[in-house]
Amino acid sequence: MTEDVTEHGDGLLRALGRVEPPRPAVLEAAREALWSAVAAEMLATQPPGSPRRGRAAGPEHEHHHRDEPGS
Amino acid sequence: MDADDGLLIERSLRGRPDAFVEVVRRHEAAVHAFLARRAGRQAADDLLGEVWLRAFAARGGYDPARAGARPWLYGIARNVLRAHWSARPDPAGVAGPESADPWDEVVDRLDSAAQVRTLVSALRALPVTERDALLLVAWEQLTPAEAAVVLGVPQGTVRSRLHRARSALRPLLEEK
Repeated sequence: MTEDVTEHGDGLLRALGRVEPPRPAVLEAAREALWSAVAAEMLATQPPGSPRRGRAAGPEHEHHHRDEPGS
Repeated sequence: MDADDGLLIERSLRGRPDAFVEVVRRHEAAVHAFLARRAGRQAADDLLGEVWLRAFAARGGYDPARAGARPWLYGIARNVLRAHWSARPDPAGVAGPESADPWDEVVDRLDSAAQVRTLVSALRALPVTERDALLLVAWEQLTPAEAAVVLGVPQGTVRSRLHRARSALRPLLEEK
């Protein structure tokens, strides 16, 4: 499908969309936000008294664990 | 062979929500670029986590028959951008949220050649629906079918919009 644009010389158009790749720390921070939601859901679906599983969580996640009703 | 995105999302719904993180890892650079092209790098940095949270919350609506989640994620990123733009004041008082793309920032990424400015002006002048379709194909390298998923419209509609957008820009794109 890209030929629909390239056939009309889209080099300049593509150049307009060129951006620098994200810094690793940015990607990591965004994933951390997701991990909080993942951890909350994992806790909510675990039977009471079952051992915690999944990713080793940092202090922030531990805080969520303690606050989770029924955990 | 790695599981496709559809399988991972399905798995994430069946007691393994952490499987969704692998989907995110596969597409995070592309989704960040999608955001950065339209709202600038700083906004992309700020909004990427919101995209993942919304996608995670909405994954129950994902069609697992779709092996690749990128168009779906772009659609969510687009909604996040709309919310971002609608929350910003519009200094000109004329641009709706969908037309608030930061084109000045786009120009700043390049030199100030007249042709670039002319092309940006022409892109600005396109109806938002046509511009969105064109940029999904030109910038994100999507097929019309994939762009249709992002935009939530039939594939034929995307093709029509692409045709009109290309017709409008053709003289500029062919210019040397």
